[in-house]
Amino acid sequence: MPVIPHSHYARPVQSTSADSNLALSRRIPKWLLWSLLTIVLWGTWGLVSKIASTGVDAYMNQLLYTAGLAPLMVFVAITVHRERGKVSANRNSGIFWAFFTGILGGVGNIAFFQALVKGGKASVVAPVTALFPMVTVLLALMFLKEKLGRTQWLGLALAFAAIYMLSV
Amino acid sequence: MHLWLWFSIAALVLWGISGITQKLATNRITSERSFLWFCWAMVALSAVVMLVVHLQWGLGRLVVVSAIAGGALNGVGAWTSFRALESGGKASIVISLVSLYPLLTVLLAVLILGERLTGLQTMGAFTAIAAAILLSVDTSAQA
Repeated sequence: MPVIPHSHYARPVQSTSADSNLALSRRIPKWLLWSLLTIVLWGTWGLVSKIASTGVDAYMNQLLYTAGLAPLMVFVAITVHRERGKVSANRNSGIFWAFFTGILGGVGNIAFFQALVKGGKASVVAPVTALFPMVTVLLALMFLKEKLGRTQWLGLALAFAAIYMLSV
Repeated sequence: MHLWLWFSIAALVLWGISGITQKLATNRITSERSFLWFCWAMVALSAVVMLVVHLQWGLGRLVVVSAIAGGALNGVGAWTSFRALESGGKASIVISLVSLYPLLTVLLAVLILGERLTGLQTMGAFTAIAAAILLSVDTSAQA
């Protein structure tokens, strides 16, 4: 968002869309705007994935998905290149886990696209796959010995119930 | 059980495991560097797919644009979620909030694609979204 100089407020001006945008960003915290934008982007992703799956197989979908990631990758690479001075002792293992995350995410994407190709409705597949934190929580419970709160236990119970309701 | 459901569960399991590996990565390197290597893995996977799988070419413009847009939307969405956290949003709130994204998918699929859900499936979709939000709540933040 552009930084508006103070003099802008000193003179009486008619309300513009830029003014209302500024007023909006003052009322709504930035993190909330970014979060809402994330919902819009990810929510639309489910829709376009279903549209794509009507004409491409899951593998080609993953290939084109990666092409769509490319511009953002260049942007992030520039950011990372600027901060290349900061080297942590665990960098290599961090890179390994990040790369492994990408492989899991990519193969997961192929399964997601395959679900849509095989006739799964976007309105059902998206909520089912969005339950992935249940696996993360279970693994953290089993291997990282993390403790679950009552909220997460309730979430797990609801997740199993949801899968049953969506599958019948 | 329907074949699509098996694939959905496979995606759920793989993405769920990646939740742990992502945590292991970002404990060691920045989220930007982690995201970059995440993307490199996608490129490597795509290269393997090109070598191993017999791909179908000659695709319609709409499906190509939709598939490419999918990558862009998901990638930019990951970036905006990082920005939400960096802008002072509590992880427990931001992650729970962005877990609402399937709600928009359901809405768009019904309105644009004309998908129809049974009563039980509608209840299941909303239960799934509620479950995803509850699962995303950081219990350490509650203490």
